[in-house]
Amino acid sequence: MIKTRVTEMLGIRFPLFQGGMAWIATGQLAGAVSSAGGLGIIGSGTADVQWLQREIEAARRLTEHPFGVNLVLTSPHIEENIALVIKEKIPVVTTGAGNPGKYLPLFRDQGIKVMPVVASVALARRLARLGADAIIAEGVESGGHVGEMTTMCLVPMIADVLDIPVIAAGGIADGRGMLAAFALGAEAVQMGTRFICAEECPAHPDYQQKVIKAKDRDTEVCGLTTLYPVRALRNSFVRYYLEQERAGADQEMLRKLGAGKYPEAALGGDIENGSILAGQVSGLVNRVEPAAAIVKDVMETAEALLLNRLGVEQWSE
Amino acid sequence: MAILDDLKDIIVDILDVQAQEITEESKLVEDLKADSLDIVEMLMQIEDKFGLQIPESTAEDFKTVKDVVDYLEKRLQEK
Repeated sequence: MIKTRVTEMLGIRFPLFQGGMAWIATGQLAGAVSSAGGLGIIGSGTADVQWLQREIEAARRLTEHPFGVNLVLTSPHIEENIALVIKEKIPVVTTGAGNPGKYLPLFRDQGIKVMPVVASVALARRLARLGADAIIAEGVESGGHVGEMTTMCLVPMIADVLDIPVIAAGGIADGRGMLAAFALGAEAVQMGTRFICAEECPAHPDYQQKVIKAKDRDTEVCGLTTLYPVRALRNSFVRYYLEQERAGADQEMLRKLGAGKYPEAALGGDIENGSILAGQVSGLVNRVEPAAAIVKDVMETAEALLLNRLGVEQWSE
Repeated sequence: MAILDDLKDIIVDILDVQAQEITEESKLVEDLKADSLDIVEMLMQIEDKFGLQIPESTAEDFKTVKDVVDYLEKRLQEK
């Protein structure tokens, strides 16, 4: 039994969030994670409101436990998706790609908890002041959109200045990562990459295999010269993109180059010409298994580590 | 001009630019090379320094140093 302010706030059994990855964090995945005791999160990405509606219904069929929705603030469908989240009384939303400040009062009035994904101390402080319920501090180890700070540095820096709980993300794939994050001041963790390889995740099997085969140095950050750099597994697409970027391609060209590449890989299975977004922890993910097995493994490993290896000695004596 | 001087101090602190490079006309992004997170940092320091809260909708309109100074002058008069 573990209690943190995050588990209490959301009424969940384990302080473990499944990242709201666009297109592949469907109702099926989120429902499975929530029924296993974590917090499943549907990744609405740039999908339209019909997609989101369908996935919310799918999750509801699978679980009576709470699940959340991730909203991408730059999505062309953001307004309708927010309206749907309110109508469906989704208890918690996470936000990505920007500053959700202007939406916070709206969610607050509706009693929806808001947990923005943040990569800097200043933005964490600002969103806390504007009324966020918790902050997801995401380090550069993560897949997809990345900031600059590592999880190891960012989480304690944010935890030091906030009164609201911090959820650590980026670079966490197992119970060791969870426990490390708790030591840094987090009260829950969010994992994305490992859940790509959940059986319930509709990521293309070739995409999942690519994650499983990946080693430590197999991810690259593309688009560092743009506003939205992303981490992806190295393949033909990534090599070409980086060549163009290094040769000084302008923003518009890079935008076009990357457009639609992620679903091409994630759903279409084109793992050479598509963009395989995944975190550095890909090197730690080595099998496809049910979401419930992932949740169980993380919690059991963290618990065993704490009880058997860390909890007995007095180190400073 | 105390507001401008305070604001310059904040900008110097965040962006590591020289105070003499900053004028009222300086554009935060184009001239001073602030990125979106630098601007958030600036907002936080301004709020702390002047003891007020800047709504998100207002903050989005800050383009130049003068925009910020004008806003602060107005808010501080209201106080």
